[in-house]
Amino acid sequence: MSEFDKTGRDPLDQALASLPEDVAPERDLWPQIRAEIAKTPIAAPASPVQSNWFRLAAAVLLVLATSFVTYYVTRQSMQEQVAKAPAEAAPAPQLSGQPASFTFGPERLGAGYMNARADLDRRFKERIASLPPATRMKVEKNLADLRHAADEISATLAENPSDPLLQELLMSTYQSELQLLANVSELPTAGSMRTDL
Amino acid sequence: MRVAVVVAATLLLAQAAGAEDIEKRAQADPHGEVSIVNVAGEVQVTGWDRNEVQVNAELEEGAQRLEFKTSGARTSIEVVLPKGRTFEGSSDLVVHVPRNSSLVTQTISADQTIKEVRGSQRLQSVSGQIQTEAWNEDVQVKNISGEVNVRGHNGKGTIRLNTVSGDVRLEDVGPELDLTSVTGDMQVRVAELSSARIKTTNGDLELRAASLTREVRVEAEGINGNLRFRFRGAIDAEFDIQTFNGEIDNCFGPKPHRVSEYAPGNALRFKQGNGEGRIRIKALNGTVEICNR
Repeated sequence: MSEFDKTGRDPLDQALASLPEDVAPERDLWPQIRAEIAKTPIAAPASPVQSNWFRLAAAVLLVLATSFVTYYVTRQSMQEQVAKAPAEAAPAPQLSGQPASFTFGPERLGAGYMNARADLDRRFKERIASLPPATRMKVEKNLADLRHAADEISATLAENPSDPLLQELLMSTYQSELQLLANVSELPTAGSMRTDL
Repeated sequence: MRVAVVVAATLLLAQAAGAEDIEKRAQADPHGEVSIVNVAGEVQVTGWDRNEVQVNAELEEGAQRLEFKTSGARTSIEVVLPKGRTFEGSSDLVVHVPRNSSLVTQTISADQTIKEVRGSQRLQSVSGQIQTEAWNEDVQVKNISGEVNVRGHNGKGTIRLNTVSGDVRLEDVGPELDLTSVTGDMQVRVAELSSARIKTTNGDLELRAASLTREVRVEAEGINGNLRFRFRGAIDAEFDIQTFNGEIDNCFGPKPHRVSEYAPGNALRFKQGNGEGRIRIKALNGTVEICNR
């Protein structure tokens, strides 16, 4: 509660009334402000063409970001489902890292996959050269069968890009191909076979 | 007189060929591990009641020596070949091991025949045939082009098999299967199936199970091969079958339906009993047939 003096006026009002109505600055600030403005170049307005490029780039980025988020969320969701249902899951595939969708060849699986495949392929060729001719022919035929199957599914997938069964079978066939390359690459040679297996 | 001449000639030929017969034996842990390596020829392994490993080897000329080593619970037998030389001969091994031994084999073209070995088995070959028995321990087989035959005794062991073009025949094997083939055909007979993961590219599969466990899990996949299942007994499972081009034949009742008006795919989902188990089958071009007869 405020106290009132004998005149009946609020002391706070009296204090406010006693303040000066304006205060002169200690120094003139404008010359410094003007100098700072002059130092900063004024950007020219973007040309319509440049502006369109920016819009286009932003749109592309947006699409990419949306795709990435969709892919990421889908993959996360799939991983969570797999993690939540261990009893239902089949034994874990030996190779993983699958994108949400793809419609063409194995190059769509990324550089990591292609490098691993090329490396395995190189070791496979080295190893298969030392196998007996009849076995070599069988293995080569089977690898060709797998690759033909992958091509067939891939071509069908290109016509039916949203078919999850085809996506799953194609991924599985690529895995089988890698598995075959790995199995043959790991085969012992007559000179390297050891009992300390 | 004529017989004597033939025997003498055979002995002379064997000597000329440089074949060498060797017998070695050693005490062994009754639950130990025996590993055998032989590139070409034949490997016969039989489980017996003695706590010792015995090997009778016939080494043909070209094989350097037979290595026979025991270290703790581990016995290793290896036909050692001279380094840097192509070996075109073959060596035969007849091995007896304690019945509950684990067995590891590795051959290139040598056939493997295993009997009465009740420990776990890891068998690998390139083109040799593999014939073994499955009991209560796991059996893992990797082969490229050789046939694989496993005769089980309705035990508990898991069968893991990976083959490329060799045909596979499994009879009365354990309740858990993990089978992969590219072009080899697979014929499987199980008394009670609890889980199976089967993948084939162009090979056909026939799986017969006398019964399924209540929470059975089956994942089967084929690209061009036909997949045929015979499940008998009470079935409590949910079926989910999809093909892209192939037909679906179902003896259980429900009919498959077309997935899309514009695509040839078929799908069939239905439940038997409470649907506790899960049976998922996927195929591209092959036919899927499930039946309870």
